[in-house]
Amino acid sequence: MSENFENELRRALRPIDAPDGFAERVMRALPAQRDREPLPAPEALPTRRLVRRFAVPAAFAAALVVSMLLGQHVADVQRQRTEQQAGLAASRELMEALKVTSQKLDLAYQAVKTPPPPAGDEENRT
Amino acid sequence: MGLNVPQSMADSLLVRARGGDAAAFAGLVRAHQRSVYSIGWRMLRRRDAAEDLAQDVFLQLYRKLDHIESMEHCGFWLRRVAANLAIDWLRRVPYSATQPLEEGAAVAAPLRDDDPLMSRQLDRLLGELSPAARAVMLLRYQEDLDVADVGAALDMPVNTVKSHIKRSLTQLRSRMIGAKLVDCEVPT
Repeated sequence: MSENFENELRRALRPIDAPDGFAERVMRALPAQRDREPLPAPEALPTRRLVRRFAVPAAFAAALVVSMLLGQHVADVQRQRTEQQAGLAASRELMEALKVTSQKLDLAYQAVKTPPPPAGDEENRT
Repeated sequence: MGLNVPQSMADSLLVRARGGDAAAFAGLVRAHQRSVYSIGWRMLRRRDAAEDLAQDVFLQLYRKLDHIESMEHCGFWLRRVAANLAIDWLRRVPYSATQPLEEGAAVAAPLRDDDPLMSRQLDRLLGELSPAARAVMLLRYQEDLDVADVGAALDMPVNTVKSHIKRSLTQLRSRMIGAKLVDCEVPT
């Protein structure tokens, strides 16, 4: 059915003859001198084509590199900040330890400096 | 090709036409006028417009002869330009202006050995398709190009060509069936 219909269509669409004298009318309408259209010159340099071809990948690569560098910088800053905070905490702990040591030394000094109680007192006590 | 000329002779016609031989160019016109005029006539549905279009196509060929590589290329180039010029023309001119050509159809349609009524009906229904679909159907069924060549001629992907053909065939078939039912109705 489908093939029949297509054949029918082919028959219905057989080319029609052009009107009489058509070719002569075309020939009369031709310009006296043929303005030859120049053949398309080969592209001098395929720069534009190269740019068109590589622009997107190049932009993508550049964006990738920039984002990598940016990421690295952010990570460096973060690491520096962490190290700084750790250093500050360590110095605070050291100060605390020195303070405690100093207090202990003070106590020891006081103990050494205080004279021992008299001996009689000792005997009375026993 | 419209004329049955051996390939070598046809190619020499092209070479001579390129060299400025007017008679050779006239030979080229005669070889392809049937095909180009038919595309114009079936696309535009007006004899005067079809002749203007065909003339324009051959004038363009005259200017671009140096680009044409062979007679085969010439035939393809002419069909391509004719179909695209016709589509452009239909875009510029309102659709209704292209319709009233029934009298032209009666004059220009050749005598056929098959069912002339059906052929005329199909011809008329083809005029109801969109310009792009009509061009696809003409290049496929009038000019017998394969779908890849139709796509190349109209700058259309092959799948678009296939879907145009499928849709147009369905539309034409259903309209034909409808028309036949109307024709068969017995007046009461």
